[in-house]
Amino acid sequence: MIEPSENTGAKQTLQCTLNGSPVEMDVQLSKRLLHILRDDLGLTGTKRSCEIGRCGACMVLVDGKPVNSCLTMAYQCEGKSITTIEGISGDGIDPIQQAFLAEGGYQCGYCTPGMVISVIALLHENASPSEDEISEALSGNLCRCTGYGGIIRAVKSAIATRKME
Amino acid sequence: MALNRETSGGRWRIRPDGPAKVTGALTYLTDMSMSGMLHGRVLRSSHPYARIKSIDTSEAEALEGVHAVLTWRDVPGLNGYGIAVQDQPVLCRDYVRYVGDAVATVAADTPELADYALSLIEVDYDALAPVDDPEAALADGAPKLHPHGNVLHRAGYERGNIADGFEGCAHIVEETYITPRQMHAYMETEGGLFVPEPDGRLTVYAPTQHGLMDRLQLSRILDRPQASIRIVSSPIGGSFGGKDELNIQPYGALLALHTGRPVKIHNSRWESVRAGLKRHPMKIRMKTGIDADGRIMAHDVNIIADTGPYATLGAEVLNFAVEHVIGPYRYEHLYVSGVSVHTNNGMSGEFRGFGGNQAIFALEGQMDRLAYKAGIDPWEFRQRNRRRAEDPGPFGHPIAQTNGAEQVWRTLAESALYARRERLAYAASAPSSPPWIRKGIGAAFVMHGAGLGFGIPDPAGGRLRLAADGKIEALFGYEEFGQGLIATLELMLIEEFGFAPDDFRIVIGDTDRVPDSGSTTASRATSMMWQSLQRMRDPFRSALLKAAAAQLDRPAEELAIGEGGVREKSGEKRLLLAYQNLAAGSSEEIAVETNFIFPASDTKRIGAHLLYTYAAVAVEAEVNTLTGRVRVTDQFHAVAAGPVMNPQGYLGQIEGGSSMALGYALTEEAIMDEGRYVTRNFDTYLIPTIADSRGGFEVVPIEELPEGDPHGPRGVGEIGSVGLAPAIAEAVFQAVGTRISRLPIDPSELQKPTDALRKAVKDR
Repeated sequence: MIEPSENTGAKQTLQCTLNGSPVEMDVQLSKRLLHILRDDLGLTGTKRSCEIGRCGACMVLVDGKPVNSCLTMAYQCEGKSITTIEGISGDGIDPIQQAFLAEGGYQCGYCTPGMVISVIALLHENASPSEDEISEALSGNLCRCTGYGGIIRAVKSAIATRKME
Repeated sequence: MALNRETSGGRWRIRPDGPAKVTGALTYLTDMSMSGMLHGRVLRSSHPYARIKSIDTSEAEALEGVHAVLTWRDVPGLNGYGIAVQDQPVLCRDYVRYVGDAVATVAADTPELADYALSLIEVDYDALAPVDDPEAALADGAPKLHPHGNVLHRAGYERGNIADGFEGCAHIVEETYITPRQMHAYMETEGGLFVPEPDGRLTVYAPTQHGLMDRLQLSRILDRPQASIRIVSSPIGGSFGGKDELNIQPYGALLALHTGRPVKIHNSRWESVRAGLKRHPMKIRMKTGIDADGRIMAHDVNIIADTGPYATLGAEVLNFAVEHVIGPYRYEHLYVSGVSVHTNNGMSGEFRGFGGNQAIFALEGQMDRLAYKAGIDPWEFRQRNRRRAEDPGPFGHPIAQTNGAEQVWRTLAESALYARRERLAYAASAPSSPPWIRKGIGAAFVMHGAGLGFGIPDPAGGRLRLAADGKIEALFGYEEFGQGLIATLELMLIEEFGFAPDDFRIVIGDTDRVPDSGSTTASRATSMMWQSLQRMRDPFRSALLKAAAAQLDRPAEELAIGEGGVREKSGEKRLLLAYQNLAAGSSEEIAVETNFIFPASDTKRIGAHLLYTYAAVAVEAEVNTLTGRVRVTDQFHAVAAGPVMNPQGYLGQIEGGSSMALGYALTEEAIMDEGRYVTRNFDTYLIPTIADSRGGFEVVPIEELPEGDPHGPRGVGEIGSVGLAPAIAEAVFQAVGTRISRLPIDPSELQKPTDALRKAVKDR
């Protein structure tokens, strides 16, 4: 019999930074970041899909590194800075997002927030990644619609645009 | 000319739904929530096959925070669903027939509580030995899964005399092809929000490919009028056929109406795998004979499809497979028989390609084997046997004639990729470097039907109106699941009418607002939107001009519609009346609607198509003989589907479809063992990643149609997912000489120790 254990433990205070603003909330420390974001905070740009860290639809930045929020528990966020897709561009569009738009690097769009997060993390670390490095950095983000053609073109275009600036 | 951003010019546009998708702002239906909502869960069967002795829900019901525990007793109307045949129980009463069968459903304050309540429901089962193999299910004495037995459907086709056909053949190839249980693997699992409204109606926010069909099905189950149900069904995080049938909608609807509160359901990936549809696993036996000139004399085919426990569109998929094992070739004698068989395996059903993927993998495999036996180049072999202009369709039925078969054949023959084949063939005998990497090039030829086919209700239509706020509304009962339907319609409205993007509003996916346009399936929506606009363009334009003429007190002949409003027809085409003012000044609504039927063939053959898309696919692949792994390094697709309505969408459909075929060929299989899924999530179900998708890719659309063709653009939603798998199989043969008859390709079949390795081992 399954005990309703995971999210019924005692709540404790979590302090972190979320999309640039300090956040203090009472949560069970084992609660997954994915569910905190989607269910408690209404930040539904972070998507739920495999919940075992294989598809990347739930990717967020934790201190600038891409992580699967489905594998991240609340206590691991203590004192960290978390950026979700909603925190990427404020009300505007980031040049990387613009590249996805221009090249058609999405279809249903469900994987796209996670994909954009991974590209942002990659280009932050490495302004001109090789094809191998692009492939490595994005191989944890599954897309079922595009066959990745538009995504690869979007990443290359974002790199080229950055170089010109 | 290759299709890409550069060659598309200004027609390559940012999709209207794009900004909200890349910023994460788009609310998918599974993102919705409401204050006071409950969380729904479904108790699925513990066994692939069992008799239910009793269901005890008392403990679950007693749990605080649980608001409903429903079983078959609580289904007010028809306890069954299915697009074609309503044989799938909403909630099982006496038997469970697969591990996804629903036995009870629960609504509780939190998801955790709902899960806990499920664990408190006691179902007493009498487990039965599952029938997990379609051939065993057909054997005498096999347990009958339904009163009518285990055969869902038989289909066949015969021409000439097959027994005579093989006499005197110069070469005969016999092979059995086995194809896997492929999963749609849409990134958004099934789910939605179900809201009982204050006026007694029910609003369903849940993805589907045909909102009005869901409304009809739910009205039967809930025993309430269709008008009391509203289905909002877009946007959708991928479907590929998988969300065409009902999935969680009956449970959400029952729970919401029972509790009087909004209910949210969102499947976990495992529940999605367990309950959801898959592509039919098929075993296709073919015996094909040719004469000394390489002409096909006889083609004898038997298809066995594992359709799982219930019907959904299993019969229609088999009909499609029967049509497509015949395909674009000429035969003297032809005999096809097929059977779709119930088992206690997972549900099989509608999936992009719709039985064509399995059929064409087998058919193209035969063509390559026969060509090899006869010593003829495989592409030349297809040229000798392919259909000619004015030939009837696969069932000898009338079809809308195009030169598609000839066009794609020639375009591939002239492609740079295929031209490399000869050099490669020469190199095949030479040492390669490194020695364990071998390259090959293969190709496949595809003819794929669009629309539901003769004999199946296939309505189409749409509506245009000038709304009170001055926006022109285009209303269609279609769904946006990623394919780019909204973007395609936007481009059509701009190009066909001369509207500016801001002049109009596209309304889809809401049964309270849209007309019956039929389903968003079978590569039909783009064709039907185009045909609808052709029918509505002149009447709508006239209605707008007539109203404008009255307001402006000028003859309608001097006016034209254009960007922003009604303009002077000649000269500087000055704006005379903005659409907003036209709407404000009109006392009557300006609207036109069209309703028609997807064009069907003049035949009595159920499922036979009138419209076909043609494709030719060439692929270069590398086989690593140490690991047995295959890597696709280059692809070329020629597609004859009439004019390109939306370049980005067209390219995306071929690229994305082809990626599904790559997975089908190399890695994807939902493995079952005695009726239970072994493959439960993306850790073992491997869809292509970006690392598998780095090779070259070229799509050449052939837009030309015969003069006077009335049908316009043909569908491209499915055809990209069909030809790549057989082309890869031939490329593998060219590379290492191993014939592939089973998908996904088993690497162990391709592993060959190299001489160097053998030597190294010996030397030690």
